[in-house]
Amino acid sequence: MQLKRTMGIGVLVLVMALILSACAGIAPQAAAPAGEPAAASETTTITWAFWGSPEEAASHKMVADAFMAEHPEIQIEIWNQPWDDYFTKIQALWASGDTKVIPDVAFLWPTPRYAAEGVLENLDPYIAASGYNLDDYWPGLLESAKYQGSVYGFPRDIEVNVIYYNKDMFDAAGVAYPSDDWTWDDFLAAAEKLTQKDANGVTTVYALAAEGGKWAKWVNQNGGAILDDYVNPSKCMLTDPASVAGIQFFADLMNQGYAMRPADLNQAGGDAAVFMSGQAAMILQNTSRVSAFNAAGMNYDVAPAPIPAGGKRWNGAGGAAWVMSSGSDNKDAAWTFIEWLQSTNGGEKIYTERGEIFPALQSVANSPAFMTDQPPANKQAIITEAAASDVGGFGYFPEWGELSGSIIDPGLERVWAGEVDAETALADICTQVDQFLADNGYPK
Amino acid sequence: MTAMTGSPTRMSAPARLGLHALLIFFSTIMLAPFGVMLVVSLIPNSAFLARDFSPANFSLNNYWRTFEVVPFSRYYFNSIVVSVSVTTLQILISSLAAFAFARLRFRGREAIFLFYLATLMIPFPVTLIPNFLIIKNLGWYDTYPALIVPGLFSVFSTFLLRQYYRGIPLDFDEAARMDGASSLRIWWQIIMPLSGPVLATLAIFVFQGVWNDFLWPLVVTTSEQMRTIPVGLAAFVGQYATAWDLLMAGSVIALLPVLVIYVIGQKWFVQGIALSGIGGR
Amino acid sequence: MTPHTASRRPFRWRPDQQWEGYLFILPSFLGFLIFIVLAVVMSLGISFSEWGLTGFKGFAGLTNYQQLMRDPVFWQAFWNTAFYIVTIVPLQLALGLIMAVGLNQAIRGVTIYRLIYFMPVVTTIVAGAIVFRLLLATNGPVNSLLASIYGVAGIPFSAPNWLGSSDFSKWSVVILTLWKNTGFTMVVYLAALQGVPKELYDAAHTDGASAWQRFRHVTLPLISPTTFFLFIFQMIGAFQLFSEPFVMTRGGPANSSLSVVQYIYLAAFRDIRMDKAAAMAWVLFVFIFAFTLFQNWTQKRWVHYESD
Repeated sequence: MQLKRTMGIGVLVLVMALILSACAGIAPQAAAPAGEPAAASETTTITWAFWGSPEEAASHKMVADAFMAEHPEIQIEIWNQPWDDYFTKIQALWASGDTKVIPDVAFLWPTPRYAAEGVLENLDPYIAASGYNLDDYWPGLLESAKYQGSVYGFPRDIEVNVIYYNKDMFDAAGVAYPSDDWTWDDFLAAAEKLTQKDANGVTTVYALAAEGGKWAKWVNQNGGAILDDYVNPSKCMLTDPASVAGIQFFADLMNQGYAMRPADLNQAGGDAAVFMSGQAAMILQNTSRVSAFNAAGMNYDVAPAPIPAGGKRWNGAGGAAWVMSSGSDNKDAAWTFIEWLQSTNGGEKIYTERGEIFPALQSVANSPAFMTDQPPANKQAIITEAAASDVGGFGYFPEWGELSGSIIDPGLERVWAGEVDAETALADICTQVDQFLADNGYPK
Repeated sequence: MTAMTGSPTRMSAPARLGLHALLIFFSTIMLAPFGVMLVVSLIPNSAFLARDFSPANFSLNNYWRTFEVVPFSRYYFNSIVVSVSVTTLQILISSLAAFAFARLRFRGREAIFLFYLATLMIPFPVTLIPNFLIIKNLGWYDTYPALIVPGLFSVFSTFLLRQYYRGIPLDFDEAARMDGASSLRIWWQIIMPLSGPVLATLAIFVFQGVWNDFLWPLVVTTSEQMRTIPVGLAAFVGQYATAWDLLMAGSVIALLPVLVIYVIGQKWFVQGIALSGIGGR
Repeated sequence: MTPHTASRRPFRWRPDQQWEGYLFILPSFLGFLIFIVLAVVMSLGISFSEWGLTGFKGFAGLTNYQQLMRDPVFWQAFWNTAFYIVTIVPLQLALGLIMAVGLNQAIRGVTIYRLIYFMPVVTTIVAGAIVFRLLLATNGPVNSLLASIYGVAGIPFSAPNWLGSSDFSKWSVVILTLWKNTGFTMVVYLAALQGVPKELYDAAHTDGASAWQRFRHVTLPLISPTTFFLFIFQMIGAFQLFSEPFVMTRGGPANSSLSVVQYIYLAAFRDIRMDKAAAMAWVLFVFIFAFTLFQNWTQKRWVHYESD
């Protein structure tokens, strides 16, 4: 009996050992494909993190290769994730505190949020030491990458939202192409002619397809605002009549059937899809669509966004930025790379030439890299909008993401769905925003 | 299948017809989404967005493109390795513990089991972040153990198996012990063979759960080589595009093995549920 | 959770099985200690701390919980989740039971029907949610179908915006969840129905009971332990609903379909508020626990065990 039991225990231990070794046995397999061929030890390897589709990743790869050709002493290792997972995973890397896995250089948004967590390197000393030129950025743009007055990142691009219009559809409807100084009234008149409805009054072809997230343009053009201060806010400004009118203008476009509701747009595959399939005559979008429309051989052009009578031209100054991890163990190499990325003849030029971005640097925008003979013909419209860049699209404080993601955007979704009017929704939103600000200790 | 043990009297022809109509109605609802998935996976995105379902548009191109755009075979391999390992090992480990909880008499047995049960209702977000930190500290980040090991310990599986093992008469053990069999032998040669159906049930449950798991593999892997199919599926949804055609083709690819296993194992599945404690009996 | 611990004989500790018992549970217990117990303790600690990306920043006492109680979005997510529970759980039990009763008849094709009903259960939820986004689009197949049905009936039809309006978004999540999970309920019920002894029906039949009476007074009480199990199981599942709204509606519009677990995820990974997320997870746990205790207490009134 006793012997049997001892044997039984022995077998049990053996089973456990097998289980454990099974786990361990799998581990080396995992390491093998991940391990790059060990590079020569005299080079410094830095990890570079960004999000993007396979096509976007191809551009990043080109940029990395170009950099390594110029700087053979620095090896770039790429860490690419799809947009949906990117932030979850990069936070997980930082949370681990392991310098071996923390990316040295990363593409990030919103910068102040992460700077407040202490995971980003303050770039001021590097800028001062190298004499890097900050004046080449579009007005207001660097604000989006600052925290407590210091620069923590360099925006790669600037989101310049312009109107893309389908020339064939304008011709068919007998509508003149937009001028560079058209107004909201001109826009409404064109929209009425471009919209096609069926017998039941349901729109079949829309004049405009615009993402709900573009609303800040209408508000700021009309002299409205989201907050009284975008760095240290004390109150919500969306109940201001100018703000309400800006939101209501966008909502009315949808209520009248001129503009596609954002939820429908999303279901239809996004603005590029409906623009290419002729379901919408215009879209309001940044320059990221150009390459797709050119590849599809569309007959289109761009125009500045219409502005209201007595309003001003306004473009939100913001864009995802290159940042350096404070936990990086190769900060000098990381800075060399970031500085090169954001130089007139470095990464900016390649991204711009590839049609991936509208550059954050004015010098690149005015260079042949952007001023090509490819469509759209009216590139000046983009420059015009970019020059009108200013703060006003988002807050530059750490809690902005939570505030907009949980309160402002969801609140506005009810307006876009046609469930409530702008005034009602905004009153509700502002109550919550003010409470949120107070709860988080603003103004500080 | 003796599916009618508990069924009432035979039905009249019109009643049978009505019942079939109802059951076919349900079947249509259950199958329609699969039909849409299949159709969209066979036509180009542009054709789908234009709702152009002409026969000329149908092809297997999306499937080939899916395999071209992303290393789907690698995701596939990972999903298989992870799902098979977790299923096998989790059942072995749970079964050992369940055997002890059900059939061995040791001090603290009930207390430990209650402790297990108390954690059964803890929602997964409670343990997500700490578990990530634990995996990091073990040095398992972005490896198979990170994907596998935390999945090996299931209170639910242990509970289910214990309930089942309690239903097997203890006389079996006593008799075997008389013949000099060790506990391990009783577990492996008597109890395990007797629990085929419940093991099959559990295996299917665990397998499909692991195969479809999304959040955990997302958090603990980083390299493309370590992605499982659901995580790889997410890679399709790029920042700006909605590639419905590829997504649906990928979905079909992701679903097939699980469906095949289910179809093969469904007999054991239903029997297993009937026999085990899961039916509350 | 163990409604039927009909212990056969009094428990007696056997010294000779002491160490064997420990060894048998050792692999399971080690993992349990690390990945469940330790994780839970850590999570509890985080919820009472200020905890950022880089970890511990300081003790926070009840601050995270207090912030949560004042957070309108949390309460919205909470009521949404309550809505999911009171719709999904009964509907799923009812539909699952109808299907199971239908399949428990002497007809052809039972295996095929059962196979079909269960297919969604083994489906990747990501894929299911994406397909339902197509199906429920404003100009999608579901609305086309509804329009033609209304057309035949001569009732004017305004197409519901299933995913884009706060009136319908929750129902979209409910529909997806029912599609995905009813097959599971059906299979469990079917197993229970097949366990009901035929003699009981025959006896009732001889007594002149109608089909409905037999169902009401024989079948339902006999399968009530199954109903209880499913009720608890589905309720816990509905409390933890995540993937369905996450993939299909992203919680929108206007947070109208946001579930608590989804908000936990957003707090942790979008807002980098691990501390708030941990606190939320604990509030959720308390609710689940309380509801389960309550159900366990009420089960005496409606759950019938054979030994009764």
